[in-house]
Amino acid sequence: MILFDFQYERARSLAEAATLLASLGPDARVMAGGTDLLPNMRTEIARPAALVGLGGITAAEPQVDAEDNIRIDALTRLAAIADSPLIRKRQPMLAEAARAVASNQIRQMGTLGGNLCQDTRCLYLNQQHDFQFVAPCYKRAGSCCYPFPQNKPDVCWSVYMSDIAPALIALEAEISIVGESGMRRLPLEQLYSGNGLKPFTLGKNEVIEAVIVPATPARSGYGYHKSSRRGGLEFATSVIAVALRLDDALMRCTQARIVIGAVREQPIRAEAAEKALVGHEVGAAAYDAAAAAVHEIKPLPHHGFTKSFIVDNLRVYLRRVLAHAVERARASGMVA
Amino acid sequence: MADRSRELSGKSQVISIEVNGELHEVTVRPRHTLVEVLREKIGLTGTKDGCEQGVCGACTILLEGRPALSCLTLAIECDGKKVRTVEGLANGEKVTAIQQAFLDQGAVQCGFCTPGMLMSATALLEKNPKPSLPEIKKALEGNLCRCTGYNAIVAAVRQASGQGVDPVMQ
Ligand SMILES: Cc1cc2nc3c(=O)[nH]c(=O)nc-3n(C[C@H](O)[C@H](O)[C@H](O)COP(=O)(O)OP(=O)(O)OC[C@H]3O[C@@H](n4cnc5c(N)ncnc54)[C@H](O)[C@@H]3O)c2cc1C
Ligand code: SF4
Repeated sequence: MILFDFQYERARSLAEAATLLASLGPDARVMAGGTDLLPNMRTEIARPAALVGLGGITAAEPQVDAEDNIRIDALTRLAAIADSPLIRKRQPMLAEAARAVASNQIRQMGTLGGNLCQDTRCLYLNQQHDFQFVAPCYKRAGSCCYPFPQNKPDVCWSVYMSDIAPALIALEAEISIVGESGMRRLPLEQLYSGNGLKPFTLGKNEVIEAVIVPATPARSGYGYHKSSRRGGLEFATSVIAVALRLDDALMRCTQARIVIGAVREQPIRAEAAEKALVGHEVGAAAYDAAAAAVHEIKPLPHHGFTKSFIVDNLRVYLRRVLAHAVERARASGMVA
Repeated sequence: MADRSRELSGKSQVISIEVNGELHEVTVRPRHTLVEVLREKIGLTGTKDGCEQGVCGACTILLEGRPALSCLTLAIECDGKKVRTVEGLANGEKVTAIQQAFLDQGAVQCGFCTPGMLMSATALLEKNPKPSLPEIKKALEGNLCRCTGYNAIVAAVRQASGQGVDPVMQ
């Protein structure tokens, strides 16, 4: 399979990448590790006229800033995040999530920014054009969504599959974005539009420069689970990321962020499940109540899994993940 | 049917890559992947072009010492970089410990996945000379063997690292 021709420019900094994007016009894209973009170019889901290569820029090491946040360069490779002693110690959920992505080769090539901006997927879309059994779907400027023909013209049910975004949203991460006219900060949660046709809120000439993860307060715990068919090298069936906090007595949950990934067009906060937990004494009854509430997130059927299977999967694993998070919060509370 | 016409906008460029210690100057277009350049322009056909989607791992090479998929690497991005392929492992007739272990354990069937497996295993052993069983499996998860000969391959990595091969079979 031969790739189509495109122009290639090498950026020396992310600010220069934003300027190059602007000068190259609307059909230019940045490429970091290329592990998401190049397969999409091979199947011609993406047909950029020009690529701005970020491969020549060296990523800064993860570091702690003056406000005690961890700042991670968007070009940091996933293997470096999984192996970073700083991240493993201070934000183990992020290291775990990075290690859950794809294979060793892809973790060695793929970057954090590329992971957060990876395109949404659908079994129909993600195949060579000639193999699509009917005609182009909405996402390829066609006139129907073939797996879900009842969808309205502006509705695409492709699924956002990042293993890392749910963990970072649970940890209240922010991103810093560089554009032609300067920098801005955004809670990561707001990077996602929930629209399968245009999943990101980034401007055309903007790139993510860094991810900022705030320090976790005492008596906090996390739980993370990625379900997949094979356990290794596989996109997720579902991802559950939980960050919670207990009161001084380590009995009651005072704060919880429960984020579900890989089941909809964007990572979803399970707000009803959070409400079922916060203010309550932690234990089996609270986990059951929270798990029962995951119905609210209305997963899309995807990649061979039915909606009811995904709901059952979330119910079972959310319970376990919550129990883990509470154990960890208690352990951290004892040490403190 | 998709429109197959391809505009030739990507200008050719001369790049230099060091492959297995030898410097090569090649002319590439932006669209050329590293596996294409290794096989078709440099003539090293040990690296296999498999799924071209980053799934099978047959095209694994070491780029600046790290395992990478040469089907998802643009050659133009490798200008000035060092690449190691399966041809760079043996020194003349003298094979490396991991190659010998593949021979001893019969860790080959059709052989298509072997170069990629050897490169992933080499990267693992250079970083971690005594990997545990889960570490071996994690390091090889991106290399698929369609003959499903995984036990013998894991046993070979255990042999090369000087560990007993038996527990693998349990
Ligand atoms: C076989 C296979 C399995 C995979 N499995 C998983 C998996 O299990 N979990 C998972 O999460 N992912 C998976 N991926 C997807 C992907 O490889 C990773 O998410 C990876 O982290 C993408 O990073 P990259 O640097 O290679 O992105 P690229 O391919 O370089 O870029 C991806 C997109 O992000 C944009 N982009 C890149 N960097 C920036 C930036 N700094 N700012 C703004 N936009 C940017 C690009 O323009 C492009 O649109 C898999 C991929 C393959 C091929
Ligand atoms: S869900 Fe989206 S990507 Fe998939 S076929 Fe429908 S419109 Fe296309």
